[in-house]
Amino acid sequence: MPLEGLKGRKALVTGAASGIGACVVERFRREGVDVVATDIHPGQGIAVADLTDADDVEKLSGKAGTPDFLINIAGGPVAPTREQTLPELRQGSLKLEDVSETEWSKVLAANLTTAFLVCREFAPRMKARKFGRIINFASIAARRGSDRVGVHYAAAKGGIIGLTKTLALELAAHNITVNAIAPGFIKTPRIAQAGWGDAGEAFIESLPLRRAGKPDDIAGVVAMLCSEAGGYVSGATIDVNGGWYFGP
Amino acid sequence: MSKVAIVTGGAKPDSIGHEVVRRLLKEGMQVVVADLYEEGFKAMRQCTCIRCDVADPVSVAEMIEKTVKQFQRIDVLVNCVGGSWGITRRDLISSPPLGFRGLTNCSLEDWRIIVAVNLDAVFYCCRAAAPYLRKQGGAIVNVSSVAARKGIPPGSEGSSGPYAVAKAGVMGLTRQLALELGPHGVRVNCVAPGVISSGRLKRVMALTGKERGPEGPMATIPMGRVGTVDECAALIVALCTDDTAYMTGVTVDINGASYAA
Repeated sequence: MPLEGLKGRKALVTGAASGIGACVVERFRREGVDVVATDIHPGQGIAVADLTDADDVEKLSGKAGTPDFLINIAGGPVAPTREQTLPELRQGSLKLEDVSETEWSKVLAANLTTAFLVCREFAPRMKARKFGRIINFASIAARRGSDRVGVHYAAAKGGIIGLTKTLALELAAHNITVNAIAPGFIKTPRIAQAGWGDAGEAFIESLPLRRAGKPDDIAGVVAMLCSEAGGYVSGATIDVNGGWYFGP
Repeated sequence: MSKVAIVTGGAKPDSIGHEVVRRLLKEGMQVVVADLYEEGFKAMRQCTCIRCDVADPVSVAEMIEKTVKQFQRIDVLVNCVGGSWGITRRDLISSPPLGFRGLTNCSLEDWRIIVAVNLDAVFYCCRAAAPYLRKQGGAIVNVSSVAARKGIPPGSEGSSGPYAVAKAGVMGLTRQLALELGPHGVRVNCVAPGVISSGRLKRVMALTGKERGPEGPMATIPMGRVGTVDECAALIVALCTDDTAYMTGVTVDINGASYAA
């Protein structure tokens, strides 16, 4: 059955060039949603923008107009730059003393400032239309902590949860819901390439569902939250991790 | 062969369970309705309706047995039976009792009945259905409440302290079962609704007026409205489908931003 409430809507998806973002775009298009896809990494059908830059975000609004669904996926444990738009993920764990102030600031900007700027640009337009669904991307790193990705990424994703709850309250009266999705171990091609998936058969076997997640598993939850099923869900952080961590 | 779903508490019109039944039928599933409210069975000819007192493990075992005898399988179990009143054969169609029943002033009978229907019943149904769900995999969805997150403020009408405790138990039960059944391909999740405009809410509001809801003052809901039965049922059904294939042990709050866990 197609999900109720998706067909004919407009979506803006950030971080749309690869991985989870690309999969969300594909799912939306299958559901008949009109998608504007943006990323710092160029690609077919991608509106290129550096969302840490407020000017770029403003320019993007010219292309995206007023979306019904705003899906903030842009981010990652290694911050991209305009020169290196799809940086390689590091192997192994990142320790506290290995995080430079520059890296700290860049990762916070790439994961948290981006969501703030994009929400600030588009939420007022949604308010005027009295409809909106905003989904921000947190991470299991913010929920249970992480043994791998570093404090900057976990802190930025924790920030996403605070931003989400606050915007949920602020925008509720305007019929705009704001939620976060906290993915667990999702084996995107980039993550597989970095060898993260090889870290342990034992780890996978410790997950109640006994498998790594797929980008499709996240796209399904995005679709659910944008459909009728998400109409009264706001301020929530949805853990999608195969049972790795159950939330607070 | 089409999938088989059991919905407890699906017979009363204008209830979350009733709408879940309608939507699972639309998904192409065969639906068994397990309920004490036999008055509703006549209008549900597309379903197999079984009289069942979910607070009685013998009655639950019989219901599961009948289901398996007729369909040979169980793919989905949605536990919707619940509430602080209108939950036993004796008070099934009575009006809500007025006055707040907290943990310090409820009767022991209140405690036993409310915990039995809201928590024990979920345990009985899940346990009885588990061997069949495990055969081919499937999904369980339990219905908790925002009350499990924040308690019921004294002065509220239509809900109770024991209910808040039992619903918190349902969240714990959901996590425990997720661990036990996940390796067998059975996902176990939970929704925690805030105030939903079901027939039951309407009956409370008819007695108490608009301001005092079962979870505290209605004016404090940030979205400025109660949720609809449609929204809540759509969420429950989504948790039964592959869209949520990588979610288990999770409680999804659906409360109009009134409590962010």
